[in-house]
Amino acid sequence: MNRLGRMALQALRAIWAERGYAALMMIGLVIGISSVTVIYEMGEGVRSQVVSMMSSMGFGADAFFVASGSRRAGFRRGGGARVLTEKDLSEISRLVNVDLVVPQLSINRDRISAGSRHTLSNISGVDIHYAASRRWDLAQGRFLVAADDRDKRRVAVLGASTAKELFPDGSAVGRSIRIGTSPFLVVGVLAAKGFAPSGHDRDDRVLVPLSTAQRRLSKEDKFSAARVNLVDAGQVSDTVEEVRAILRANHHLGPEVPDDFTIVTPDSLLEMVTRQSQAMVAMLTFIAAVSLFVSGIVIMNIMLVAVSERAHEIGVRRAVGATRGDVMAQILMESLLVALMGGLCGLGLGMLLARGIGAGMDLPVAFSLPGFGLSFLFSSGVGLVFGVFPARRAANLEPVECLR
Amino acid sequence: MIHLRGITKIYATGKVTTPALLGVDLDVARGEFAAIMGPSGSGKSTVMHIMGLLDRPTDGSYLLDGQEVTGLSDDALSALRNQRMGFVFQSFHLLSTATALKNVLLPFVYAPRYPADAEERGRRALTAVGLKHRLHHRPGELSGGECQRVAVARALVTDPEVIFADEPTGNLDRRATYEVMAILQRLNREAGKTVILVTHDNHVGEMCRRVVRLVYGRIESDTTAPAPLDAAALLAALPPREEDRR
Repeated sequence: MNRLGRMALQALRAIWAERGYAALMMIGLVIGISSVTVIYEMGEGVRSQVVSMMSSMGFGADAFFVASGSRRAGFRRGGGARVLTEKDLSEISRLVNVDLVVPQLSINRDRISAGSRHTLSNISGVDIHYAASRRWDLAQGRFLVAADDRDKRRVAVLGASTAKELFPDGSAVGRSIRIGTSPFLVVGVLAAKGFAPSGHDRDDRVLVPLSTAQRRLSKEDKFSAARVNLVDAGQVSDTVEEVRAILRANHHLGPEVPDDFTIVTPDSLLEMVTRQSQAMVAMLTFIAAVSLFVSGIVIMNIMLVAVSERAHEIGVRRAVGATRGDVMAQILMESLLVALMGGLCGLGLGMLLARGIGAGMDLPVAFSLPGFGLSFLFSSGVGLVFGVFPARRAANLEPVECLR
Repeated sequence: MIHLRGITKIYATGKVTTPALLGVDLDVARGEFAAIMGPSGSGKSTVMHIMGLLDRPTDGSYLLDGQEVTGLSDDALSALRNQRMGFVFQSFHLLSTATALKNVLLPFVYAPRYPADAEERGRRALTAVGLKHRLHHRPGELSGGECQRVAVARALVTDPEVIFADEPTGNLDRRATYEVMAILQRLNREAGKTVILVTHDNHVGEMCRRVVRLVYGRIESDTTAPAPLDAAALLAALPPREEDRR
């Protein structure tokens, strides 16, 4: 066994002898490192989840959304003033780069009832291509068809959660429901999709034909949003500007007036999600940094206490030949090993936490090598940096004073 | 072996300076068995700490085997302590978490090279102090006398030329005192070790061939006894104790 190995062994023995102190020193690191681990193990999963969510919204690179309202980030979910008119949409659809415009109408969350059971749900008037364009499958029945829209039929397709809420026995197709006070016939149920990363239930919805929604539910001929499919995805930004010009002209917005609509491109959505996840990462990183700093201070203070408590030990080591460097190395080794052990516990706890959260929120969790490396680096860094001061103090003790 | 000339030590704490040694000249030859005695504050521990390279004099010269050591670096002093000196302290200063054997092996940890036969040498040292049956006991499981014998084993495991003992019997009862002194006398007599001890116990002083008395930082007397008391004989004369019949 070489000198370093023997030193490590001695340090471990010293740590074990003071395991109460050691546990105290590790707490902060366990918190800090476990948050770092959660960030890293879940980060990748959240990103891939966002990408698959976008494709489930029919969001390839070749489409963008136009939504009512001037909110800079994100969509409005139902309600609010609808500003898109039939005229807006037909002008947009005549643009050279526009392949197809699919309008959508969101109705305020309303009461849906079936017999004696009722629930609240998000109601949307949608185009017949809505489900197919988002790669949504049906669990039962059929989706809306052209005739439904043409004849303004009172038919509805339910999301899986809504269907289960209203018809716990499982068979919804052919049964009748009421949206507010209007009776509708259920023709289909969508396959379950689970929760979005944002936490909202993607199966909590009722889809009805667009024309029916305008006539029976919103009672106006405007739309809340539209998806614009492009011919050439490479010219997204040009087309966005053309659409913006059409809408500003049609809505008579003066030069000083902000848009009364929002255009959401795949890029801007990804940017928004990235910004949000960056905010989360920043917060967790902050927590981690603070707890690492605090644990460093704790380690430093406890080591200082330990050094003065162990003055006799240091004195006798010096007497039998330990140099100042040996003493310094010993104390540094102890704080390094304590910190590494804390880091290891934190890593374990973080991996457990990430898997727990992942299972609860249906998010993928993956072992992250950079996360592991960072945990290792952080904890050993904390141990070394905050061990230096106590180690120096120990090294500078005069043997005679220690032995007194 | 040890030549002190004009050794002065002045402790400065803030504005107050306390002189501990005021020009001590002292020679100790190889194979001597010397006690440094004197009242509290006479500087007897200080002079031993300086000889043991645990402390530096404020002024004066210290030749160790002809080498001037007052100007040596800290690391060089550590190496000299490690290879040529052994220490025994009043309150034993054993590592409470380590076994007797591990405690005895401590000097090897700081040796330039950890010897391959370290364990064997540790066992031999503990056997020499009569603790063959206590190798794996921790200090908490040993009596005070046994602890001090472990400390003596630690001091001699590296086979040093000189053993410094600072009040080695200060915390021991009469029997343990004789046991420890008998070991030190035997090491001096049979292995030729130089033993320098500090004590304020006159009875212990009677067991030392040479007695140097300090008063107020100066040597007051330096006497040699032709026939010091034999600790082993004193021990044998004590009535036997139940626990010792193992």
